[in-house]
Amino acid sequence: MTKTIRWICEKCNKKWIHPIETCLYCNRKIIKQIGTKLKVIGYTKVNIPCPPHPLVPYNVLMLEDEYGNRMPKKVIKDYKIGDIYEDKPDSSENTISIVKIKYDFYEAVKEALELIGDIDVSENTRILIKPNLSIPGYAYTGICTNPKILNALIQYLLDKGAKKENITIAEQSFFVPLEKIGKKSGIDNIIKKFNVNYVDISKTEFEEKQEREFTFEVSKIVNDFDLIFNVPAIKTDMLLGIDGAFENLTRFLSKKTFDELAKDVKKAVMALSVLPNMFPKFITIGDASIGMQGNGPAQYGEPGFYNMIFAARNPVVHDKAVQEILCLRKLPYVELAGKLSLGENDISKINFVGNELDALRRDVKQPIGSKLIKRD
Amino acid sequence: MFIKGVGMTKFGISDKLSHQLAYEASMKAINDADVSFNKIDAVVCATIEWFFSIEKQRHFAGMLSSMFKTNKPIIRVPAGCAGGGHALWVANQLGYDNVLVVGVEKLMTCKSESITDEFMMAMESRWEQPEGINAPASAALVAGAYLNKFPDTTTDDLALIAHKNHSNGFLNPKARFYNKKVTLDDIKNSKVVASPLRVMDCSISVDGAAAVVLTKDKSDIEIVGSDLCTDRVAPFESNDPLTWEATAISAKGAFNQAGITNADIDFVELHDAFSIVELISYEDLGFAKKGEGAKLIRDGYVNLDGRMPVNASGGLKAKGHPPSATGLSQIYEIAKQMRNEAGDRQITNTNVALAHNIGGVGGTVTCHILKKVGG
Amino acid sequence: MERYVKGVGMTKFSFEDRSTHDMSHEAIQQALNDSDINIDKIDAAVVSTVDTEINDERQRMYGPVLSSLLKKKIPIIRVPAVCGGGGAAFWTASRLKYNNVLVLGVDKVLSSPTQLITEEIMNAGDNFWEQEEGVIFPAVNALVAQQHMLKYGTTHDDLLKIAYKNHYHGSMNPKAKFFGKKISLEEIKNAPIVSTPFNLYDCSISVNGAAAVIISNDKTDIKVEGSALATDYLAPFEREDMTVWNGTVEAGKESFKQSQIEPKDINVAELHDAFTIVELIAYEDLGFCKKGEGAKLIRDGYTNLDGKMPVNTSGGLKARGHPISPTGVAQIVEITDQLRNRCGERQVNNPKLGLTHNVGGAGGTTTVHIFKKVAG
Repeated sequence: MTKTIRWICEKCNKKWIHPIETCLYCNRKIIKQIGTKLKVIGYTKVNIPCPPHPLVPYNVLMLEDEYGNRMPKKVIKDYKIGDIYEDKPDSSENTISIVKIKYDFYEAVKEALELIGDIDVSENTRILIKPNLSIPGYAYTGICTNPKILNALIQYLLDKGAKKENITIAEQSFFVPLEKIGKKSGIDNIIKKFNVNYVDISKTEFEEKQEREFTFEVSKIVNDFDLIFNVPAIKTDMLLGIDGAFENLTRFLSKKTFDELAKDVKKAVMALSVLPNMFPKFITIGDASIGMQGNGPAQYGEPGFYNMIFAARNPVVHDKAVQEILCLRKLPYVELAGKLSLGENDISKINFVGNELDALRRDVKQPIGSKLIKRD
Repeated sequence: MFIKGVGMTKFGISDKLSHQLAYEASMKAINDADVSFNKIDAVVCATIEWFFSIEKQRHFAGMLSSMFKTNKPIIRVPAGCAGGGHALWVANQLGYDNVLVVGVEKLMTCKSESITDEFMMAMESRWEQPEGINAPASAALVAGAYLNKFPDTTTDDLALIAHKNHSNGFLNPKARFYNKKVTLDDIKNSKVVASPLRVMDCSISVDGAAAVVLTKDKSDIEIVGSDLCTDRVAPFESNDPLTWEATAISAKGAFNQAGITNADIDFVELHDAFSIVELISYEDLGFAKKGEGAKLIRDGYVNLDGRMPVNASGGLKAKGHPPSATGLSQIYEIAKQMRNEAGDRQITNTNVALAHNIGGVGGTVTCHILKKVGG
Repeated sequence: MERYVKGVGMTKFSFEDRSTHDMSHEAIQQALNDSDINIDKIDAAVVSTVDTEINDERQRMYGPVLSSLLKKKIPIIRVPAVCGGGGAAFWTASRLKYNNVLVLGVDKVLSSPTQLITEEIMNAGDNFWEQEEGVIFPAVNALVAQQHMLKYGTTHDDLLKIAYKNHYHGSMNPKAKFFGKKISLEEIKNAPIVSTPFNLYDCSISVNGAAAVIISNDKTDIKVEGSALATDYLAPFEREDMTVWNGTVEAGKESFKQSQIEPKDINVAELHDAFTIVELIAYEDLGFCKKGEGAKLIRDGYTNLDGKMPVNTSGGLKARGHPISPTGVAQIVEITDQLRNRCGERQVNNPKLGLTHNVGGAGGTTTVHIFKKVAG
């Protein structure tokens, strides 16, 4: 459910719409106030477009919560004054939730998961989190999963009753030692803060799995967990179209398999489309807090500033939705995966919760490559 | 006006957005001044509007009104890298009893190519920008001309300046290079950015904020000289690109107001955006004759244990350079020194100090002279 | 410190593609000619101009540009505040401890398609709460207008009467964008919808332009009686009452207090009509009528050229055009011209007290200045 957030001084009751730690006047602590019962108290139908909001007409609603706090919200659907605004959570496979981050990553991750029907977690649940740490870069460049997302996700899991001993972060890089990336991106600090387990996938054992004509060496680590979170950084990719749910899975494979696939791009795309079948069910949390646009996924791209979080139970649905929102060309591996019944790739059959598709669509810098990039 | 309180965030890559950084620094300054925010009459802020950024904000005064929960007068007075000094000068002119001055910058949100482009927009739009003159290139042209005209000075002298600043910054907990050792060889062997300037000749871009509370009521540190001078955009426009007149004029103005001369200055926080700028500023501020700036660094005159320490904080080089916050972080350092709170980099004689802030390539310059009261 | 207006000058506001140097030069030349001093006597300057990535000049350090233009090495400061920049610059200039101060507002807004300009101006709103939700500048004002209509029964027709009045005035102002263009009430009522309930004629038009004023401690015929600046939270939805703009209320109160007069003493006013609703709300917030009764003033013709207190005889932002920063200064040019009886067809009968009201963003920064005709 969309929610309003206010930061309030416990003494003088002044309210802030931006997070602060202490009150400037009283020096006292701040409490967070979340409003979830939203009513429409005003709206305007906008007819003029601008690059971040190109599809017109759209409506901007003025919502007011149970505490009298207000916030604007962009929707396509028409509402009347007095209508209740609510998002309906949906735990089906065809659902994708999209949440815009209002300065608070914890609330955004919480909402993204709640909108796909939330998760069940106990002190015995073994949880695996797979971020994207394939290339070194500072967090603000969007080249790796944003540490703030991991921070929020782990905190949410702990608040729901999970035990830190049962939470594992796993990743590998095919280019650079993992330690280097962890330090630069700031992920190291998160892991230290929560004292969770940290595994370098290249040091795990692999087993062979067959699917159609492909043989994959998949890390055995995926068999040891009850709940798996696939947390890619959403980036445009000059070869694949995007780095999303699918691409992040490739780093569960051995370097040998990866190198073989990399030799033949066409084959790699087909292999990529059946990759999800190698794994038990997982939830994808797409980190588009910063993300990348242009000639990604490495140093030639630039930050996307998308400021969103996606959550989906099916990777085909996830990547298809991302492709549609960023107005990119159809992704061959997603269309193929859909044909092979790994998930829904017909955009009209995908259920968007939290925000409407046409309210989110915008043009981004396309990954079409450039004459200035030296290729070897 | 008097300096009542100062505050700054640690300079580096920050998680926070600019209004949050401004809030943090302001809180520190308010607490340091032991003045309630209710007593503040006006706020003067400085921050640059960044184009390639996660926060697209053109109306920072409104954001501060929301952050400070106030309807009081708030104005934004940006001036590129001179934002801090600029804001201080304006605050000193306004005539209020208590003024909060805050400078903040959050620029580490995009690729370094984009940051270079943003800084390039401080160069002249038709004569310089299309000719590939970005900030390091502009300083490099000045450096090249200087080294050519005064062959006695070499890049080794520039390296000495960078090294001095790093040795100081090593000791400053708020600095980007705190506890990070940088040797003279590291500096001399760093990659060339725009010949003859190397990576280690250039200050480093970081996020950060600094704030100062000014009061009419007597306090322990007084602003006895405050001058601002605006000059041309591009160095090639002046008759002598090696003399930055805005520095010379504003320094003279400040010295006149304070009724003192160069010999009275105990220590200086000056604008070392590039090592060559520090060298030229020694001369333009009147501490050395034109062409003889290198003598000061070779003799150790400006070292931490020298006769007149320059950039005890580490300067823009080692402390880091969030453009609009720098000018006020200089005031922070001066206040800490005068109050004997500078820890390992404490200077002995701290009665009179000069703060020097440059915007663009010598386009806008502020000079402030601060004096310990009763000292 | 007593301040007087020496001379004023401005370019015609238009779509003409001129460089900012060119426009600044013209405005400054006019202001100098209108005053009794030579450029040598200017002691300091305050310039207001927005940093814009969409105009072809890409110039950040406007102070040095002006220094280069004036060939002077004096203190020149830059005080931008989006649409309220002109007023903020004048307010700052009045407080500087220098004798003859030049105040300049210059902006070249039109170098790009409308879509990009819409996005640029949208950047005056809160990034994550407003900009992301499609709250473009017309939308946020439209939401405020809707609240006013719901609360006080103001109608869209009332707002359009304001547009008609301003266009009628502007058609007589040689410096206005709409000089010589008569627009009928029919045309105004049938214009396309921009953002409900606003149509094209509720919104001011973006143009290029420059305006300059020279103030001094030397006595002249125009005295600055009141000068105040106040701020309010950036986003209207955060304020207690979206229809009360505290910046206007506080700045107005302070300015009237300094001048020791009351609202009813004002003979002519230039109010900030970025959108018709802003002028209507200003009637109330400045104290020309009670809260909620703004519509009465326009219905009774109180603010027409032949009314009790003509508002926006220049055409206002609506018909004169709104180049963002110069607007606040252009308002002072109009009031000066009115007090000096130089307004030709749109001259108000012997005005003694004039008021200018300039707003930045959606009420974030507001300045109110009061000018008095004294013997001089």
